Amino acid sequence: MTELLNMMIIDGLSFALPLFIMAIGGIYSEKSGITNLALEGFQGVGAFTGAFAAVFLAQSMTGALPYYVSFLCAIIGGGVFALLHALLCIRFRANQVISGVVMNILAMAMTTFLTKRINAAVFGHAGNKFLLGTSARFTVPVLSDIPVLGAVFTDVYPFEVIILVVAVVMSYVLYRTPFGLRLRACGDNPHSVDAAGVDVNRVRSVAVVISGCLSGIAGMSFAYSISANFSADIYLGYGYLSIAALIFGNWTILPAFGACLLFGLARSGGTVLIQQLGLPSSYNDLVRILPYVLTLVLLIFFSRSNRSPRALGEPYEKGKR
Amino acid sequence: MRLLRSLFFGDRFRMLRASFWALLFSLAAGAVILFLMGKDPVSAYANLLQGSGLLPKVKYAGRQNQLTDFLSFLDAMTPMVFASLSVAVALRSGFFNIGVPGQMLAAGFCAHIVTAALGNVLPSPLAKLLVLVIGIAAGAAMGAFMGWLKDRFNVNEVVTSIMLNSIAMYLITFYINTFYVDPVSRQSRAISDAARLTLSGVRTHGMKADFALAFPLAILVAFLLRTFLDRTTYGFEIRALGLSRGAARYAGISLSRTTLLTMALSGALGGLAGVAYFCGYFASIQPGTVPGMGFDAIAVALLGGNHALGCILASFLITVISKGSVYMSSRLSVEPEIASLITSVILIFSACSASFVGRRGGHD
Amino acid sequence: MNEQEFIVEMRGITKRFPGITANDGVSIQIRKGEIYAILGENGAGKSTLMSMLFGMIEPDEGEIFIRGKRERIDSPRRATQLSIGMVHQHFRLVSNYTVAENIILGMEPEKKCGPFPMVDIAGANAKVAALSERYGLQVDPTDVIEDLNVATRQRVEILKMLYREAEILIFDEPTAVLTPQEIAAFLDIVRGLRDQGKTVILITHKLEEIKQVADRCAILNRGKLISVMDVASSTTSDMARMMVGHEVSFSTPKAPPHFGSPVLRLENLTVKNAAGFNSVNSVSFEVRAGEVLGIAGVSGNGQNELADAIAGLQRCHGGKIILNGRDISNLSIRERVEAGVAYIPEDRHNVGLVLDFTLRDNLMLKQYYRARFAHRHVMDEIAFDEYGKELIGRYDIRSNQGDATITRSMSGGNQQKAVIARELDLKTPLVVFMQPTRGLDAGAVSNIHRQIIAERDRGAAVLLISLDLDEILDCSDTIAIIFQGHINKIAPAASLTVEEIGLYMMGVKGGEAA
Repeated sequence: MTELLNMMIIDGLSFALPLFIMAIGGIYSEKSGITNLALEGFQGVGAFTGAFAAVFLAQSMTGALPYYVSFLCAIIGGGVFALLHALLCIRFRANQVISGVVMNILAMAMTTFLTKRINAAVFGHAGNKFLLGTSARFTVPVLSDIPVLGAVFTDVYPFEVIILVVAVVMSYVLYRTPFGLRLRACGDNPHSVDAAGVDVNRVRSVAVVISGCLSGIAGMSFAYSISANFSADIYLGYGYLSIAALIFGNWTILPAFGACLLFGLARSGGTVLIQQLGLPSSYNDLVRILPYVLTLVLLIFFSRSNRSPRALGEPYEKGKR
Repeated sequence: MRLLRSLFFGDRFRMLRASFWALLFSLAAGAVILFLMGKDPVSAYANLLQGSGLLPKVKYAGRQNQLTDFLSFLDAMTPMVFASLSVAVALRSGFFNIGVPGQMLAAGFCAHIVTAALGNVLPSPLAKLLVLVIGIAAGAAMGAFMGWLKDRFNVNEVVTSIMLNSIAMYLITFYINTFYVDPVSRQSRAISDAARLTLSGVRTHGMKADFALAFPLAILVAFLLRTFLDRTTYGFEIRALGLSRGAARYAGISLSRTTLLTMALSGALGGLAGVAYFCGYFASIQPGTVPGMGFDAIAVALLGGNHALGCILASFLITVISKGSVYMSSRLSVEPEIASLITSVILIFSACSASFVGRRGGHD
Repeated sequence: MNEQEFIVEMRGITKRFPGITANDGVSIQIRKGEIYAILGENGAGKSTLMSMLFGMIEPDEGEIFIRGKRERIDSPRRATQLSIGMVHQHFRLVSNYTVAENIILGMEPEKKCGPFPMVDIAGANAKVAALSERYGLQVDPTDVIEDLNVATRQRVEILKMLYREAEILIFDEPTAVLTPQEIAAFLDIVRGLRDQGKTVILITHKLEEIKQVADRCAILNRGKLISVMDVASSTTSDMARMMVGHEVSFSTPKAPPHFGSPVLRLENLTVKNAAGFNSVNSVSFEVRAGEVLGIAGVSGNGQNELADAIAGLQRCHGGKIILNGRDISNLSIRERVEAGVAYIPEDRHNVGLVLDFTLRDNLMLKQYYRARFAHRHVMDEIAFDEYGKELIGRYDIRSNQGDATITRSMSGGNQQKAVIARELDLKTPLVVFMQPTRGLDAGAVSNIHRQIIAERDRGAAVLLISLDLDEILDCSDTIAIIFQGHINKIAPAASLTVEEIGLYMMGVKGGEAA
């Protein structure tokens, strides 16, 4: 029984944390007033860049370095790609929903195309994926012996630690620093920010790029855990799931963390349950519905009190009320 | 002369002009990419047209010619027309139907299940009609549900769409993998030829051709939709709501009724796209994935200026690229993904096309 | 400091927008420590002039000198550096932030949290408290903006300027949204600011306030500077004449009224706002055929809710609306149109018109479904075109492409003409005008006033709700005064003096009548 509970916590966390860091990215973007359906694409491009770096470095290097470099590259890749969303939404004033969808389409097309090209040109073989394998895990001695909670410290992916550290930093920046104060103001009343002498569109651009960087971490984490490679399979809708989580969390970080944990544990719990009941693995898909249904039901009950940022989705035009 | 001038400068053709520039820029961008890859852009684009049956190929495989290519091109284009119409009609009343993928899956799935359950009871024309009716009903139900949530509980339709897409995808994946899988293809079992909307592999005049029976329907529906939007009071109400919610309410238009009507209509078109895709162009459903066409349709509708006939044109263009790319990639040994790459560049340009032609100025 | 040294000097400022010259060679000079008013009608170019001083737009021609030095003010940021501050007509506050957070935004006090910088909220609260103490501006730094009333929000805006150590304070129509008591308090604040050495610029069209606080007053008309007057030595009627550009006459020619039977009767009508507060509180009155009933009142006393409730845009929470003997309080908007309610709403951009529709379609907005224009839900394009052209001709609606013009591209006056044409041509027994002349120039205003009288003479019952007391006096046969959702007084127009109406508007008199 404890065995099962442990499994549930371990798998749940390793899924919930990437989701969480992506949701923080979404919160950054949406709190600044830019609707972001492009998280799905951001995480894919991040995973692509990171995976390419990892595979490339693995030719000449061993040890943990490629692993960490890959995350750095994923952050850069996701961030650079996010610039395009910022450009479309802010400079070209494209509709933000449409831009988000287009970003996702582009991400998928571009990364699958480039993966094939690169495999042929750089690595000299045909293939539509970068093979990574799952990353090594570690167990914290002593702490992992605590009953139940010990599972949190058992079989931990290194990226989970990275994510937690980044998450704490990002929460601090959003809620405690001048930049965070201005960013959140942009999503409520950009005119007030402009009147205070701060460039609204610059703050928003930075916010979107941050969402790309954080999604890159998430994508790389998925590539190193669930899929064990980079391929088009990375686009499984996790980006949309993290959007569900951030809405569920009412655009604030801590409740969004709760939502991600709930989603993660529901997922792993479902898997464990289905194994225990001896059902075929296809029943897993039935469990996967849970977060979406939960979010939908919650929205029905709380849509009136649940408030998205007031200026969300509106391009900022100087001098216009 | 006046027409020519309004074509270039007038308000009437603003959207058309925007799309034109978007297209031109994207094709140029695509040409640059191809050139950098060391390929000849002109012959690459010619290959696209050849692959779509719009230009003759150098040589054909057995039982194939330009006409059969073109017929299968139309087969591929049919669901895209429906899907883009679905997005366009919703956008006309100010709603984003991001839920087309879910509506397509739901409609295709329901049609599969019902026809499979009925077996060979129905004669072929009736079976096909039933598939269409189920597609419309399933899609409309999903669309109306989104509209109802929006109207009754003020739940943002974009969010609902995303949730419903995933719910539909997982539910259907579960069902197919558990009860309805074809052990060889790992897809759903194939729909019977009697019920399938595409007559596949018909031998005539020594050729083997695919006839998309839903294609004429798609064109007809587009024209009907245009008339509906431009000439009926319902269309007037939908357009008014889309352009100004406050003014529509003030004019005494029932927002609830118009919202439900539009979303049901949009869903029904999404459903038609679903049956044309899963019970026509394809004969089965692939589990574990949502049809990307449903997302592409958003941008295709945009490229078509949210206009019913524009959607036909835009679907035509996008399908030329996606369908023709198979031939192009085999001729030039380019990855076939180049097609979706060019497509997404077109979509990006059309997404920000409003800023190419400038926004309408005004007083106050 | 030298008397002749000016803290602000604007020389030969010209600003053109497509179609109009908003400022035409305007030169003004403002002394340090004075209260300088800028007076003019809507569209006279007051706000444009001050927007250039605050760096929101740049002049096409002309120069700006601050403290004797020529400056290029290309952004509000630059203006702030020059210690210029501005309170806009629409406040620029973050609704879910506290008072202190709003004030420090963009110039946050910082402290260290280990090696990391963070916003010093406690320090900010203390600073804001000290500032509000010093200038006598009552606010609690920890209150959240959305819980505050308009007057308090205005104080927050003032504190924002003071926090940035602004010396030149610009107010754009600061009293438009305040109650009389709040106006008095505000004027006290302005005097206090002057006494502390600040220079205050007031943009306004209210002569009374200028007379009370201003030292000097620049008068603009149609973008041109007409005169700069010493307030102490001028009369309000002088200023008024200069502002309008001709002798002020409050007389739209009208024949004596012929009252018929009651058309609209309200019985204890009550409307609640979103917070559950009674914004219209048990209002009863009637409007007879051939009568213009004007409702006077300070902004925000329930006028919008009253008009919307009669037209069906807001739900009634109590009482009855009776039109020609029929209770219409539970009818839909469409049913009320059919029952005979025409409504010219205040907001023509978001309510009265679909701006991206053609002019023709906007003229059809209330009739497109009627049998004359549609058969079995198919619209009759020919009938549409004919009717559109007819209204355009009859009401003299000017646009560059006739009935096919996109309404957004039309001028405000012509947009309003379109709304009025559409509503009046319904030929309904009741017409509700809500702020029908807001933002229009003098010519358009008198034209609309004539139409109001013409409706009366046709035999319609007219309900005219306006914040502009002159308009009420000009058109009404009977005047009702609304205060805090309550009708304070209702009497024949001739029996009331302006002073009396003012007292009822402020709630000083009345309260017993209902």
